[in-house]
Amino acid sequence: MTRFTLEEVGWEPRLPPVETASATPAQLAALEACPPAQRHSVYFRTLVHDPASLGERGALFTKVMYAPRGLPRAERELATAVVSIVNGCVYCASVHARRYVELSRQEAVMRALLEHGIEVQGLEPRQQAIVAYAASLTRNPAAATAAELAPLRKAGLSDLEILDLIHAVAMFANANRLMQALGRSLPPDGGEGSAPA
Amino acid sequence: MTSTIPDLAEHLLGLDATSPLGQLRRQRAEILGHEEGTYRALVLPEDPGGVSLAERAALALRGALIERELPLAAHYRALLAATGEAAVIATAEIFPAPAGEDRLAVLFRYADMVAERPADCGQADIDRLTGFGLTPQDIVAVTQLVAFIPYQTRLLAGLRQLQQEPAA
Repeated sequence: MTRFTLEEVGWEPRLPPVETASATPAQLAALEACPPAQRHSVYFRTLVHDPASLGERGALFTKVMYAPRGLPRAERELATAVVSIVNGCVYCASVHARRYVELSRQEAVMRALLEHGIEVQGLEPRQQAIVAYAASLTRNPAAATAAELAPLRKAGLSDLEILDLIHAVAMFANANRLMQALGRSLPPDGGEGSAPA
Repeated sequence: MTSTIPDLAEHLLGLDATSPLGQLRRQRAEILGHEEGTYRALVLPEDPGGVSLAERAALALRGALIERELPLAAHYRALLAATGEAAVIATAEIFPAPAGEDRLAVLFRYADMVAERPADCGQADIDRLTGFGLTPQDIVAVTQLVAFIPYQTRLLAGLRQLQQEPAA
């Protein structure tokens, strides 16, 4: 039914990625600052064509997703999966849907979101508040009002948790566009080759 | 002008660093610092390469206008004006972006698509930029810049909500 999936989706860049062997010192330094597990991915090797922005934006991404305390990591992943669904980024949605499931063990919730979209019924109140807020700030930031914070407050989110949620939603307004502009998603079983390393 | 602004978001929001919201943001001081660092790396780079500072300011201005984030747009409009590049200034706020195959028109059409309809981007859009002499570094920088304005927009919108929230 839906093009969103929990399965691994590949991503193929529209520019040739930088090869480590021919990288400049600035490019190598920017890659060194990326998370070790991902620094050799085609995605980072594509972004490292512009090392200064990769360095700063990559560090921003890491802090937004992994900074300690505040909004639980699972809920940051929930928010980023929702933003990716709203923006139609199949690749980002699959990555962050899987991370949400790993962290929360709530596979049924994520499958429902992926299959039926963010209007899905039956979420717990705190999940519902996060999903609705993430979708609203993604779709129409110019119309945002303080009243939209009320369901988050009612669900018990603290000031720091709300700030973390804002950062996560903002980060994926950015990440989805980078992924969609600089490359394309490869469906898990679409016969278009396996996921790039 | 910009070098005296410690944090762009707080400048635009009239937010004092010592206010409760300013203090809250400093619980995420590294995020605040990298927001500012990303903004500077993209809009005010020391070496702008093949995409001029005027073009960068114009791309940021268009993005802010598309998002209807008017204080942010005013900031980028002032940055663009300070470059004094008349041709870029004259075209920057024309919507939709002009048809035709001159460099600014192609750059603006790409930027608007990334901002508004990123799922429609294709290989041909990237190849067209290459055809205008943009290097892979220029193309990544333009895309990073255009994709960062939606970040700034949602950060500002969310911080405004917290600013305006009635005290519990």
